[in-house]
Amino acid sequence: MESAEDWLVESLRLYQDFHAFDLSAATRGLEWIGDKGVFVAGYESLKKNEILHLILPPRLSVKENQGLFPERDFKVCHGGFSDRAVLELKHVPDTRLLVTSGLPGCYLRVWRVAEDSDVIKAISTIAVQDEAGGLWPRLAVFSSAPRVLHGARLSSLQVLDPESGETTYSSGISDSEELSSLQVLDGDTFAFCCASGRLGLVDTRQPWAPLESPGQSPGSGGQRWCAEVRAGGSGPGPCFSSLGADGQLRLLDARDLCHPMSSVQCAVSMPSPSPELLRVTWAPGLDNCLAISGFDGTVQVYDVTSWEGVGSQVEPLFTHRGHIFLEEGEGHAAALVTTHTWHPSKPRTLLSAASDASVHVWDWVDPRAAC
Amino acid sequence: MPEIRVTPLGAGQDVGRSCILVSIAGKNVMLDCGMHMGFNDDRRFPDFSYITQNGRLTDFLDCVIISHFHLDHCGALPYFSEMVGYDGPIYMTHPTQAICPILLEDYRKIAVDKKGEANFFTSQMIKDCMKKVVAVHLHQTVQVDDELEIKAYYAGHVLGAAMFQIKVGSESVVYTGDYNMTPDRHLGAAWIDKCRPNLLITESTYATTIRDSKRCRERDFLKKVHETVERGGKVLIPVFALGRAQELCILLETFWERMNLKVPIYFSTGLTEKANHYYKLFITWTNQKIRKTFVQRNMFEFKHIKAFDRAFADNPGPMVVFATPGMLHAGQSLQIFRKWAGNEKNMVIMPGYCVQGTVGHKILSGQRKLEMEGRQVLEVKMQVEYMSFSAHADAKGIMQLVGQAEPESVLLVHGEAKKMEFLRQKIEQEFRVSCYMPANGETVTLPTSPSIPVGISLGLLKREMAQGLLSEAKKPRLLHGTLIMKDSNFRLVSSEQALKELGLAEHQLRFTCRVHLQDTRKEQEMALRVYSHLKSTLKDHCVQHLPDGSVTVESILIQAAAHSEDPGTKVLLVSWTYQDEELGSFLTALLKKGLPQTPS
Repeated sequence: MESAEDWLVESLRLYQDFHAFDLSAATRGLEWIGDKGVFVAGYESLKKNEILHLILPPRLSVKENQGLFPERDFKVCHGGFSDRAVLELKHVPDTRLLVTSGLPGCYLRVWRVAEDSDVIKAISTIAVQDEAGGLWPRLAVFSSAPRVLHGARLSSLQVLDPESGETTYSSGISDSEELSSLQVLDGDTFAFCCASGRLGLVDTRQPWAPLESPGQSPGSGGQRWCAEVRAGGSGPGPCFSSLGADGQLRLLDARDLCHPMSSVQCAVSMPSPSPELLRVTWAPGLDNCLAISGFDGTVQVYDVTSWEGVGSQVEPLFTHRGHIFLEEGEGHAAALVTTHTWHPSKPRTLLSAASDASVHVWDWVDPRAAC
Repeated sequence: MPEIRVTPLGAGQDVGRSCILVSIAGKNVMLDCGMHMGFNDDRRFPDFSYITQNGRLTDFLDCVIISHFHLDHCGALPYFSEMVGYDGPIYMTHPTQAICPILLEDYRKIAVDKKGEANFFTSQMIKDCMKKVVAVHLHQTVQVDDELEIKAYYAGHVLGAAMFQIKVGSESVVYTGDYNMTPDRHLGAAWIDKCRPNLLITESTYATTIRDSKRCRERDFLKKVHETVERGGKVLIPVFALGRAQELCILLETFWERMNLKVPIYFSTGLTEKANHYYKLFITWTNQKIRKTFVQRNMFEFKHIKAFDRAFADNPGPMVVFATPGMLHAGQSLQIFRKWAGNEKNMVIMPGYCVQGTVGHKILSGQRKLEMEGRQVLEVKMQVEYMSFSAHADAKGIMQLVGQAEPESVLLVHGEAKKMEFLRQKIEQEFRVSCYMPANGETVTLPTSPSIPVGISLGLLKREMAQGLLSEAKKPRLLHGTLIMKDSNFRLVSSEQALKELGLAEHQLRFTCRVHLQDTRKEQEMALRVYSHLKSTLKDHCVQHLPDGSVTVESILIQAAAHSEDPGTKVLLVSWTYQDEELGSFLTALLKKGLPQTPS
């Protein structure tokens, strides 16, 4: 393909490093284990899906003498089979446990990654609040103790010990608004984002009384939302970034969730065709950078430093177009990025996965840096 | 019990020493004969004592097959054939036959001249070994003897690499060697037909990796080269005459053209001639693209790539040079390296594995100070890049190949079975095949059920069909005949035909059973009652009352007689031939139950 060759030449100056892989099935999860491995899992219905533990090529992990490491491949370190689609996948820190959820059914499955073999084995399935609406529980993990926060709706939010199966916290409310993302901030606090755009911060030590934004803020207009909170960073309180299916992005200070600090329109050509795939993530190694995906075959990186006010159009600092240009074969539907994640320690390295089963590892060059 | 036995030879679990013994239907074949590059002593050779304890290798092995010219697949061949002792045929493809001796000689020079090794094969041994080689073409069925045949399939990977099918009768094994399922710039992808072998043997390393795309590897290469020349540095790329060099040249040429770069690229002339020579010989082994360019022009008439002159190495300014030999152990590439090593703006890109003892190996291990001849120390300030362009299949590729060949079982070598449970399940589930993972030195035995084709005579077939076709045409059907085994031929014919052909007389076997019944009536009346009873009971059979008083049911004869001593007892003589055993027994049992009291 002519355009693929062009893009490859372009990529020489766009990326410091770039790896492209083809899994045997697409994944919606890219979950880190340490900073050398990731978990991926298939999400096809009516088929046996694989959950894989992949080790990144050594050259991405070494600090020096990278040039002496010719290996550029993923190593499949562990694998397991799931008879249901895996839509959420989280690794419980400091354990060998994974928790997944998916369809059909409303349940959590706990897996153990074996030590002496390459097997990921399901050790228990926990049914949660019965859900007829085709929703599945969102997941978030605590790092202070092995606990999993889960829920498909506000009313079904619970914290579970994956080993004992015991529930240690329940939201205890009747509000059944659908959740789109959950995030643990510390041992006692978590953030939620509802599909409607309503955001909240919850302290688990108290009965339900979250700091929250109203459900339907002006301009959120019925679209689906997701969010991520930046832990730390400049500013005294945590900062929410909330992304809507038509490309609206709001930044909110946790102390005042009713009034966004800024609200901009991202450079997307059309609303997301699959709003469940929307994802916004803060860069752990860069100040004021975040990435979004879920609209098309791209991942966009933005610098939010100068954002203010409402309604301005913003341009991305960098756009990753690899999933469009490296697509194998023609006549397939255009690849859609299903998820992305930042490398925990390499500041400009991201991993992204698309619906054509591709996974890319890319280290983008900051266009503002002096040549 | 027919079986196939497979033993990967050698101790330990490591990759880098391919040598597999296969026993199939009484034939013994050795697949590859590789060297372990990491060891300097006997551990680098496969453990042949496993086979030699059975006597002379030549008597035991029917043939040796070499898949391609990489040293970890053929490096131990001269040692094996000349020092351990084997005089049988060694099969390989034509390119492998041409290239193997060159690599073996290079390797020998490094081991003996550079490292001063003693127990190593000599140049003459390499020559003598190659005299035993029988070269094969792709898809050509080669008869090793009147029972064993082999066939080579295209494997991609490197020039001349092949996958081999080994067949005896209806049992077969396919060995993949190293292969690649995605075509690259100068080689096509591996391909095999739906040959349905009993067993497919392949490397386990493939199944546990997911390969970075070829484009990204190329991108990395271009980026490194570009960055170096942009800052005024020189790039040295030591290459072996064949394979990667061409690929990288095509890549650079395309890039230079697109970017309109003026930096000179050189290719040492020795390389050009050799490469052209080999490519002309083996043009059918390369992919479509190369073939096209070769037809249009000489391979190395690139616009941007020129022949190298040693004087150019001293020219100021940036340049890229491809030079031999590939491991920097001697010759032009080493000369250039010594000139350029001291400048940190320069770069050397090693495109492949370097044998221990070579400068290439040292710098790839991170050594920055090298001791050269005359105790001179060379400080390496230039950038050292190790790039792997070797084309291997990965997890996806292995599934594709298994899908193409449709084996009954899969065997993975060089892996630890305990650690590969998921992998085994994956293969077993995806293809409904058994998956084996022997350790080195461990034998796997696979039972097979060979199918034996038997010809059926037309007469017999017609007779069977006359008896009516079963409603379910695909169900197995029981038929009686005689199996004649003559001249390795199996035929099923009717007994009559068999007798005729073999000139034998037919013997009739007739059974007679006596059924005693209490009855005071006369024999004739008895017979009549038997007839009536049987006629009404056996509606499906032909029951007849003959004029002489006997009753027949089909071809079974029943006669009534008086008991010699007891007038109240009658004896029914039931007589049948061997063929009518079933009906005869049934009738006897029926009659033993007695006749109905009143005539019906």
